[in-house]
Amino acid sequence: MTLTADQKPSLWGWRRYVSDLWGRKDFAVFLIQGNLTARNSSTALGLMWWILNPLLSAAVYYVVFGLILEGHRAQDFFLTYLVVGVFAFQYTTASMNGGANLIQQNSRLLVNVRFPRLILPIAAVAESLAGFLTSLVAVFAVVLIQGAPISAKILWLPVVIVIQTIFVLGLSALTARWVVPIRDLGNLIPHITRFWFYLTPIIWGLSFLEGKPQWVVTLIELNPMYAIVQLYRVAFMDFPFVMQDLVTAVTWAFATCILGIASFTRSEGTMVRHL
Amino acid sequence: MKAVEVDNVVVRFRPLADGTPTLRRIVAAAPHKRDEVVALDGVTFSVERGEAFGVIGRNGAGKSTLMRILARTLRPDSGSVRISGETSTLLQLGVGFNPQLSGRKNVYLGALAMGMTRAEVDSHYEAIVTFAELEDAIDRPLKTFSSGMTARLAFSISMFMRASVFLVDEVLAVGDDHFKRKSMDAMRQMLDEAGTIVFVSHALGQVRNICDRVMWLENGRVKEIGPAADVIDAYKASEE
Repeated sequence: MTLTADQKPSLWGWRRYVSDLWGRKDFAVFLIQGNLTARNSSTALGLMWWILNPLLSAAVYYVVFGLILEGHRAQDFFLTYLVVGVFAFQYTTASMNGGANLIQQNSRLLVNVRFPRLILPIAAVAESLAGFLTSLVAVFAVVLIQGAPISAKILWLPVVIVIQTIFVLGLSALTARWVVPIRDLGNLIPHITRFWFYLTPIIWGLSFLEGKPQWVVTLIELNPMYAIVQLYRVAFMDFPFVMQDLVTAVTWAFATCILGIASFTRSEGTMVRHL
Repeated sequence: MKAVEVDNVVVRFRPLADGTPTLRRIVAAAPHKRDEVVALDGVTFSVERGEAFGVIGRNGAGKSTLMRILARTLRPDSGSVRISGETSTLLQLGVGFNPQLSGRKNVYLGALAMGMTRAEVDSHYEAIVTFAELEDAIDRPLKTFSSGMTARLAFSISMFMRASVFLVDEVLAVGDDHFKRKSMDAMRQMLDEAGTIVFVSHALGQVRNICDRVMWLENGRVKEIGPAADVIDAYKASEE
């Protein structure tokens, strides 16, 4: 794939792009509303699936890793620990999958109408965000039922949500951009996310990290989802706040977002070629 | 005053090498030069403001690619495209529609997708629905509309776009005879108001009816440009 010189966005180009994007905000709002309405009316339980999906996977993990493998031995409030992790990770997975289908799904629109393409990943992430916020009802329910210690640290919740949203926007744009020319990526994504999920302490307790070589621990802790999930646990379970996690999460979020948006917008002129 | 100026535009597709480059192809990295398809090969023409310009040619001649270039959703490999003012695309009717939503919501979705502002849709909404003759059905989900009704709605939205260049792709074949006549009249009225139309069609009768000049594309090259009747006659003669 060749990028011609005039595709490199100059500062002037960026400012115009942002103002184009802003000019199309009504379109973005209608796109999001429309997709949400359509999703809600296409299945009997509609948006309930946003809660049911992660809840059912959490139930499976709880049976295997909580009851059979006795996860509570390694982790206090294992159920809450698990549910917070599963729901937070679900937001990332949903955004990546949304990104992967984005261009194909909207191919007719892309081929025929000129608009800042970034609207599409933004709308996709907004949809996932709506789903995630809805699903937090279930997280709160589990926190209350299991009686995990909830404190003023719950005020971290909106902060973490913003950080994760910035992160997944970049991720969604990156996947959307690269799935178009490299279709095989679409098949790889579920495997990548599953591996990533297992590398994040969600179904296994933090105590498993004790006694492991330092480089393994460092590697696990540099995982953006480790930092994000841990921050959610600060909010929901009164985990001690670790500055390093905040730095890791924020760094990953902005780096991924900038990389994703730059890479996505640069490919806008050639995207239609692959459809 | 020129409304559209296309100068020496070249568009190449590499169906194997980068059409859908899969991992295998990237790893193999063998450039399949011979598979290159030149969709547009040095196309040059211009359209005057207020003119109706037709584009004809066989399947695969490059008509659709040209429309994408004019809609500026595809960037040419080389050459330049200058368009004065906004373009409105009437190609591929119903782009941006969501079948689950009501006709009313789809008027907004379709119009916003094509670049209208919210306020513009608000002010044209009644007129769009009236023109489409869908007052009774508009609050039903779009999936309950017949294809003719959907096409009428899409056409009506396009008619209310504020644009100086309209790109039209076969759309006059929509709806029943009554609506076809009505949409033809609307297009003529648009031309009278100094709107410019680029019309791609296989319906030679319609092209002859509407267009002042016609361009005949063959294998991505301009075969002939001239008065509608002359070019269409030459094209028809070559078909036999």
